[in-house]
Amino acid sequence: MKPVTGRTFDPITLEILWRRLISIVDEADSSVARTAFSSLLRDAHDYTCMFTDRKGRELAQGSFATPGQSGAMAIGVKNLVNSFPVDYYQPGDVFITNDPWALAGHLNDVCVWSPIFYKEQLAAFTACVFHHSDIGGRVSSDNHDVFEEGLFIPLVKLYDKGVLNQSVLDMIRWNVRTPDEVVGDIRSQIAANHVCADKVCQMLKESGLDSLDDLADQVISLTEKSIREEIEKIPDGLYRAKGIIEQMKGDDLIIQAAVEIKGSDIIVNLDGSSGQVNWGGNVVFNFTYAYVFMAIKSMFAPDIPNNEGCARPIKLTVPEGTVVNCKFPAAVAARMGVGHFMTEVIYRALSDVVPQKVIAGSGGTPAAMNVFYGKRNDARPWHSVIIRGGGMGAGAANDGNYVFIFPANGANTPVEIFESDTPLIVEKRELLTDSGGPGRMKGGLGKRELFKIPDDKYAPMPPVNLGIQAGRYVYPAEGLFGGKTGSKAQFLVNGVPGNAYGLTQLKPGDAVTIDAPGGGGCGNPFEREPEMVQQDVMEGYVSVERARTEYGVVITPGTYEIDWEETKKIRGSRVTGQGSS
Amino acid sequence: MADKYYRLGCDIGGTFTDFVLLNDRTGEIKTGKCLTTPQDPSDAVEEGIRVLEATTPDFVAKLDELIHGTTLVINSIIERKGARTGLITTKGFRDVLEIAREMRYAPYGIFAEFPKPLIPRRYRVEVDERIRSDGSVIKALDPEEATETVRALLAMGVESIAVCLINSFENPAHELTIEEIVAREAPAVSVSISYRVLPQIKEYERTSTTVTNAYVKPLTGRYLSKLAGRLASIGFKGKLFIMLSSGGVTSVETAAEFPVRIIESGPTAAVIAGQYYGKHFNISEMFCFDMGGTTAKSCLIQKGVAGVVPTFEVGRVQRFMKGSGLTIQVPVVDLMEIGAGGGSIAKVSKMGTLQVGPESSGAAPGPICYGRGGADPCVTDADLLLGYLDPDYFLGGEMKLDKEGARRGVEERIAKPLGVSFIQAIWGIHDLINETMAGAAKTHIAEKGGNPKIVTIAAFGGAGPVHAYGLAKKLGSPRLLVPPNAGVGSALGFFTAPRAFDLLRSHKVSLTNAAFGEIEHIFRELEAEAAKILEKEAAHETIRYERSLDMRFVGQGSEVSVPVPAGDFTGLTKDDVRRSFDEVYEKLYGRTYPDSEAEFINFKVRATLPEKLLQLPRLEAGKDQSLDAAVKGERLAYSQIVRDFIPYTVYDRYKLFPGARFHGPAIIEERESTLIVGEDAHASTDEFGFLWVDLKGAGA
Repeated sequence: MKPVTGRTFDPITLEILWRRLISIVDEADSSVARTAFSSLLRDAHDYTCMFTDRKGRELAQGSFATPGQSGAMAIGVKNLVNSFPVDYYQPGDVFITNDPWALAGHLNDVCVWSPIFYKEQLAAFTACVFHHSDIGGRVSSDNHDVFEEGLFIPLVKLYDKGVLNQSVLDMIRWNVRTPDEVVGDIRSQIAANHVCADKVCQMLKESGLDSLDDLADQVISLTEKSIREEIEKIPDGLYRAKGIIEQMKGDDLIIQAAVEIKGSDIIVNLDGSSGQVNWGGNVVFNFTYAYVFMAIKSMFAPDIPNNEGCARPIKLTVPEGTVVNCKFPAAVAARMGVGHFMTEVIYRALSDVVPQKVIAGSGGTPAAMNVFYGKRNDARPWHSVIIRGGGMGAGAANDGNYVFIFPANGANTPVEIFESDTPLIVEKRELLTDSGGPGRMKGGLGKRELFKIPDDKYAPMPPVNLGIQAGRYVYPAEGLFGGKTGSKAQFLVNGVPGNAYGLTQLKPGDAVTIDAPGGGGCGNPFEREPEMVQQDVMEGYVSVERARTEYGVVITPGTYEIDWEETKKIRGSRVTGQGSS
Repeated sequence: MADKYYRLGCDIGGTFTDFVLLNDRTGEIKTGKCLTTPQDPSDAVEEGIRVLEATTPDFVAKLDELIHGTTLVINSIIERKGARTGLITTKGFRDVLEIAREMRYAPYGIFAEFPKPLIPRRYRVEVDERIRSDGSVIKALDPEEATETVRALLAMGVESIAVCLINSFENPAHELTIEEIVAREAPAVSVSISYRVLPQIKEYERTSTTVTNAYVKPLTGRYLSKLAGRLASIGFKGKLFIMLSSGGVTSVETAAEFPVRIIESGPTAAVIAGQYYGKHFNISEMFCFDMGGTTAKSCLIQKGVAGVVPTFEVGRVQRFMKGSGLTIQVPVVDLMEIGAGGGSIAKVSKMGTLQVGPESSGAAPGPICYGRGGADPCVTDADLLLGYLDPDYFLGGEMKLDKEGARRGVEERIAKPLGVSFIQAIWGIHDLINETMAGAAKTHIAEKGGNPKIVTIAAFGGAGPVHAYGLAKKLGSPRLLVPPNAGVGSALGFFTAPRAFDLLRSHKVSLTNAAFGEIEHIFRELEAEAAKILEKEAAHETIRYERSLDMRFVGQGSEVSVPVPAGDFTGLTKDDVRRSFDEVYEKLYGRTYPDSEAEFINFKVRATLPEKLLQLPRLEAGKDQSLDAAVKGERLAYSQIVRDFIPYTVYDRYKLFPGARFHGPAIIEERESTLIVGEDAHASTDEFGFLWVDLKGAGA
C-alpha cells in the first residue's frame, strides 16, 4: 500500500472536501427512510450512519444521529475495525454484531460494517447502527443477565468476499419475533453502507485522491484544535460532582465524577461509582462515554460536525465492574435509566467554571417509557409504547424548555393515535403548574397524564399491563446557583402510589396518574424579574401562592397586578436574609 | 367568453409586487413590477394594473382571470401580527399546542429556542366533552357550558376562535355545535373548526393547523374582500383566483375560509412553471433550481409532477433547522430551501476554513459591490470578480457594481486571513456555495428516488443561471434549461396552475374490518364538499375527482398514499386494494410484506377543474439571424476546467434566435440574470426562446 502522504489542502479545498464527506453520510442516511421497515427507524430516526478512514478514525456521521448511538459508535467502530489485521479485509466483506460492550450498550442496537476499497487498496470503513425494535428475549428491565435479554450476535462475517453467510441470517431469523422486519432492516443497513462506499469512491475519484489519509488527518486535527481552543479557556483544576440515582430495589446508585481540566484536555474519572447491579440498569463503557461526550460537546462545540477530533480531548476512566462500566454478562436493557444521568453530572461538576454553558437537572433525565399492553374485550391483543420527557433544566440566561427528553431525544405518541391503538382513554395531558424548579431562570414544566381504563362495554379483558421505566420519584431534578429543584415524578393508581419502576396490572375502572418531573431552576428565584413572575402566573405556569412563597412576588388574583409594596416587603427581607447565592 | 381573453398573474412579495399579463389570443406576455405597499397591499395591485394599462389599454375589462399569490399570510405569522385568537378544546388538553411532539430539533443544542404558540395559555380554554376514537360520545357537550366558554373568550377580546376537540375527525358534532354558538353569540368573530380545516388524526398537528388558520383568518378575509372590491371598482369582471401552497388555485371565498392553505403560495409559482415545462418538453426528471438573494429553493419534478408533502413548518426560530417552526399540516409543494443565495456571506470559520452562508447580507446592505455599505464579501461579489457578472450590466445596467470595493473586501477578509491567493478565494466562494447546494440537492433527490445523473436542471432566479453550470458539474447532470427571462419564467406558473382542491378525512380501520360501503360514503361526502367549493369558482365546468387512500401496516408510524380507481369503491375487492397498497409500498421502500395486515388511515379526494391550456409564446425570428449580431463582445472570466481566466464570448440573450447554437465558454446576459456556459458545454436556443445547455455533448 502506498498512499500519497503529506499532502496539505488549502482551507478552501479542505472545506469543500469536508462538506462532501458529510453529504456522503447524509445520503446514506436518507436512503434508510426508503429501505428500512420499522417505524422506529423511519419515523423516530433511531439509527446512525458513519464512516471512518482506514485506521478506523471517524470522519463523518449522519447529521441527525441520536447522542447515545453517535458517541458510542465513534469508539466502538474504531475498536472493531482494528480487531483484525489490515490485510484480513477483502472487498465484499460485511460484518455484523450487536455486542452491547462493543457498541451502543444494548442488544437492540445492531451494527453492520464493511471495508471500502478504492483502487484495490483498503481506503475506509463504513458502518451503521440501527435500533431494532425486536431482538428476541424477555423484554423487561428486571432480567438478571444479558442472556435473558435477547439474541447476542458476536462479531461475525455476514458476507465473506461478497458471499452471503446464510447461516448467520437464519440464526437471527429464528431468534426474533418479527423475522421479516428484522432481516429487512439488516438488509437496509447493508444498503446504506453500499451507498456510503459508492460515494466515498466517487469522491476520491473526482478529487484525484488515492486515499483519505491526508484529508482525514486535517479534518480531524482542525476539529480537535477548535474544540481544544474552547476547553483551554477554562481554568485548570479538578472539579467534582456526585449523582445519586434511585433504583427499583436496594440502595441508591452513586456516580462519582472527578472532572480534571488540564490545558485543553478533559479527563473524567468515575472512580468510586456504585458497583454493577443485578437488573438491566447497567451501562457499558461506550454508552457512559456517549453521554459524557454529549455533555462536553454541547458545552464546547454544539455546532461542529462530529468526527474523531471532537472526542480526542476527552479521556474517560471508569473502574470495571461498576454500574457505569459493567462487565459481561450483566443485564443492560434499561441502560438509559443510569446512563442518561452522566450528562447532568458533568454539567454540575463544571458549573462553577462555565456557568453560562450548562443547565440545571432535567425532568427528561432519564427518558421515561410506558409500555401498555393487554387484550380487548374480543381478545384481540394490543400494545403501545409511549416515551416521554420532562421539563428541561434552566440555564443562566434561559428558562428551561417544557417537556423534552434530555439528554436523549425522541417524540411522544399523540393521544389520538394511542386511543385508536388501545381501548384506553387519556383524560388529560397537560403542563403541570408549579412543576418547574423556581429560579431566576425557571426550570421547564413537567406534565400530567391521566389514563382511564373503561369499565363500560369498551372495557378490555383484565389485566391491563403497564410497564414503566422512569426515575426521579425520589430525587427531583436539581437546581443550579441557588435555583430550586423541579417537581418529582409521580405514579398513582386510583390515587395511591403504584409500583413506579416495574410492571403493574390494572383492571377496568382503574385510573392512572403519571406526572413527568419538572426541570431545576437556575439562580435565586427572588431575583427573577417580578414582571416575568407575573406573566407566569397569568399563564398559569406558576400559582399565586408559589409566586409569593418561592419567588417573593405578590400577585393579586383576578387582576394579576403585582402588589409592589408587599413584594418589596417579602423580597427585601428574605434576599438580605439569604445573602447572595 | 370570447370578449375576455386576457389573464393576469399578480404576486405580492416582500419587496416587489410582480405582474404578468397573458393575451390568450396572441400568446403575448407582458410583465410589470412595482414596490409592495405593506399598509394596504391592494394599493400596489391597482398601481401595477394602471402601469400595464399604459401599454395595453382597457385590458382590465377583458380579463378572464386574475391569479393572485401573496406572502401577506406567511409574513403575518412570522411577524406575529395575526388576530388575537382563542382556542376551545377538550377538557384536559389545553396544552396540546404547547407540549407539541416533545422532540428536540438540535440534539447537542441545549439552549435551543422553540417557537412560542400563536395562542398564549390564558386564551386556551376547555369544554367538558369527550368523543371516543370510534366517534361515539363519552361525554356530551353541554351547550350552556359551551356558550359560557365562548362568552368568556369574547370578554377577553378575541377576534377569532379556533376549535379543536379530541377525536373530532371521527365525529364533528361537538365542534359544529360550538361553531353555531359562536355564530350566534358573535357573528363578527371568525371561527375555524378543526373538522373543516383538517379532519385528520394527531391532535397536535390538527390543533396547530387550525389555530394558525384562525390566527390569520380575519386579516386574510379583510384583505381579500378589499382587493375584490377594488378590482371591481376599476372594471374587473373576471374570476379572481388565489394560489394555494399545494400548487393549485382556489376561489377567494375558499382562500378566506382556509387561509392556512395559501401560506406558501409565493415560492410555488416557479415549481408550477417547472411542472409545465417538464410536461411540455417531456423531461422525465427535472430539478427546479431557483436561486435568489438569500436562499436557493429547489424541487425535483418527475414526469412533470412535483412532489407534494402533507406538512411543513412556518416561522422557524432557526431558519434552516427542521423542527424549529410551527407545524402546519396542509398539502404543500415539496420545496427544499437552503441558505444559499447571491447575498450569502463569506467568512473565515471558527475552524480556520472558508464558510459561505447561511447568513445573508440580504437586500440591504447587500454584497459589497452594491456599494450600499455592505462590508462582508458575498457570493455576488465573487461572481463579479470571477468575470461572470458585468459591473455595467447588472439589472440591465440599472445598478453599477463596485468591482474594486469587492476586490478589497475579498482580499482583506478572505484571502489574507486564510493565506490563499485572491483567485483561490473568489473561486472558493463560488465553488463552496455550489458544493453546499449540490450536497443538499443530492440528499433531496435521493429521498425522492431520483437520479442526479439524469436530471435536467431548470434554472430560475437572479443567481440561478450564474450557478447552474457549476451545480450541474457537481451533480453530474447532463443538461440545463433556462427559460426566457427568469421573471416571466416562474410567473407562467400562474397560468398553468391546476384549479384543484384537496380534501381529506381520517378514519382508521383495518383492511380486514373495513366496510367498503361506508368508505364509499366518506368519499361521496368529500366529493360533495369539494363540489361546493369548486362551484364557487366555475359553475359550468366539469369537475374531475381523484380518490386516494393513506394506508400503512397495522401499528406502523407513517402512511403511504395509494391511488384509488374511479368509480364506486364497493366495486373493489379487498384483494384489489391490498394489491395497490403492496405495489406502492414496494415502489417506495423496495419490498413489501404480504403477511402483515394493512389498515386505512385517511381518505382523500382531489377535485380538479379542466386545465386551461397555455400556448408558450414563440420566439420571434428577427431579421438578423446571425450569431455575430448577438455577440456583445468578449471578456475574461474564470474557467473551472483550466483553473484560470480565459476569454468567454458574451451574448445578448435578446438577440438570440430560434436554432441559434454555440459553444462555451460563453456568457449569456439578460436584464435579470446571466447564464454561464463552460468550455466543455454547448448551448442552443429553441423556438420558444428557452436556452438549453448540454454538458455532455461538448464538441458535437
